[in-house]
Amino acid sequence: VAQTSLNDTDVLNYVKAASALLDLPLDAARIESVAMQLGRTLEMARQLETVDIAPDVEASEIFCPAPFPAHDDERGTA
Amino acid sequence: MNASMNAGQLAKAIASGSVSATEAVIACISHIQSSDKSVNAFTTYTFDRALEEARSVDALRIRGAQLPALAGVPFAVKNLFDVRGHVTLAGSKVNRTNAPATDDAVLVTQMRRAGAILVGMLNMDEYAYGFTTENTHYGPTRNPHKLSCTAGGSSGGSGAAVAAAQVPIALASDTNGSIRVPASFCGVWGLKPTFGRLSRRGSYPFVHSIDHLGPLANSVESLALAYDALQTPDPLDPVCHALRVQPVGVEHGKGTKGLRVARLTGYFEEFATPSAIQAATTAAAALNTTATAIWPDAALARSAAFITTASEGGRLHLADLRTKVQDFEPLSVDRFIAGALQPAAWYLRAQQFRRIYCERVQALFQDWDVLIAPATPLSAPALGAQWLDINGKQYPCRPSIGLLSQPISYSGCPVITAPLWPGGTGAMPIGVQLITAPWREDLAFRAAQVLQESGVAHLQPATL
Repeated sequence: VAQTSLNDTDVLNYVKAASALLDLPLDAARIESVAMQLGRTLEMARQLETVDIAPDVEASEIFCPAPFPAHDDERGTA
Repeated sequence: MNASMNAGQLAKAIASGSVSATEAVIACISHIQSSDKSVNAFTTYTFDRALEEARSVDALRIRGAQLPALAGVPFAVKNLFDVRGHVTLAGSKVNRTNAPATDDAVLVTQMRRAGAILVGMLNMDEYAYGFTTENTHYGPTRNPHKLSCTAGGSSGGSGAAVAAAQVPIALASDTNGSIRVPASFCGVWGLKPTFGRLSRRGSYPFVHSIDHLGPLANSVESLALAYDALQTPDPLDPVCHALRVQPVGVEHGKGTKGLRVARLTGYFEEFATPSAIQAATTAAAALNTTATAIWPDAALARSAAFITTASEGGRLHLADLRTKVQDFEPLSVDRFIAGALQPAAWYLRAQQFRRIYCERVQALFQDWDVLIAPATPLSAPALGAQWLDINGKQYPCRPSIGLLSQPISYSGCPVITAPLWPGGTGAMPIGVQLITAPWREDLAFRAAQVLQESGVAHLQPATL
């Protein structure tokens, strides 16, 4: 996977923009410390990007609208 | 009452009338009051309720009624479990203004049905986001074996309370290692069951897609009694996948015959100190094996668990982060905020990876019944430590304590942590994970029983 040349300033700018989008006020010191944390996670996200995952692989959490009926006779008639 | 008795021994003594439940609870309260000044395991006491319940147990016995399995046995819970009439703090300051719980959590109710007596709630990292129980609001929990060291986290109060013989059983949660890390650092038994085995209803969440609840205890017998008491199908908890109770009981003398056991190498040696590796090899020898195996994609799974945790945890608290950021734990608030800001693509990638990862993990169990690995890279670090030295490399302390536990919980596999006491730790313990396929807690208990009977895994009294 090609790595972008993301630098500390880019991460800082992302934190500023994303926090504004989420209506999450952060002071300058907080933006820096949060950017440091996010920078660590970025490295992990990049590791995962190297994994070959087919597009049809479902995410592990799947919404289930209701339990599957235990018996076919509970389905009723269409 | 001897607080270091296992739960079964104590329940038998109470059932026989050689000690009353009231006497047992009074002794327990007295020991908590004298020891907790130095340990700081508890945040809330429920002594009035405990004495009332103890009197009920004694009345039942006097009437000649059959007592349930844990009648009169004291226990305590991490303070993210709902307890009727008390605010569920989850280690936070923010939650203090919430309304008190109107009912007990399902697992607290299950323990009560089994006759166990709740004596209080236990300290933890704020909202379970940490491995050290260095809680700014309620003070740090101290390791009963060395008060200058961490008890581990996030269920540090639970590990310390059992290690200090304050209670024989404590309930806790484990998302990335929060049962296994305190069990390892405090030298007690811990069980993180299969994801979806036990009901989470009435507990404060951290990461919905990874949270597990389970017990810590002072012996394999106590752990098994607690686990069997906690099991119940719960159709009201959408994540409680277990449809029936599968009790493990306490089986002696079955040994390792027919059990396929291997020790994990690769990642689980790379991020383990020599003492931690020694603990795992000692356990392997006691289980009669020199075989080794490689856990699939451990480093990737740890990254995926990290991303999933940050994203779900951060989003859960977003509203409070907007308005009450100053009331959050300074040691973890930046991680919560960073998690809330993570791109959705990272989270979805991690969840997609989780599916193929779990398939690879389950394939491994076609060859093995029990896999062994250290629970933590090293023994308990000092409170306040910023860096860990693992084989000559420096790692940031708080996130790295979970290096060996995070990949396992992300797979949902059950794990018992056994307390071992390897050399090179200054007489401090390191836990060993006994990992099995989903829904095979029985095999982990069988291995744990062998380790206990062989004498390699056991509690040691804390000198408080």
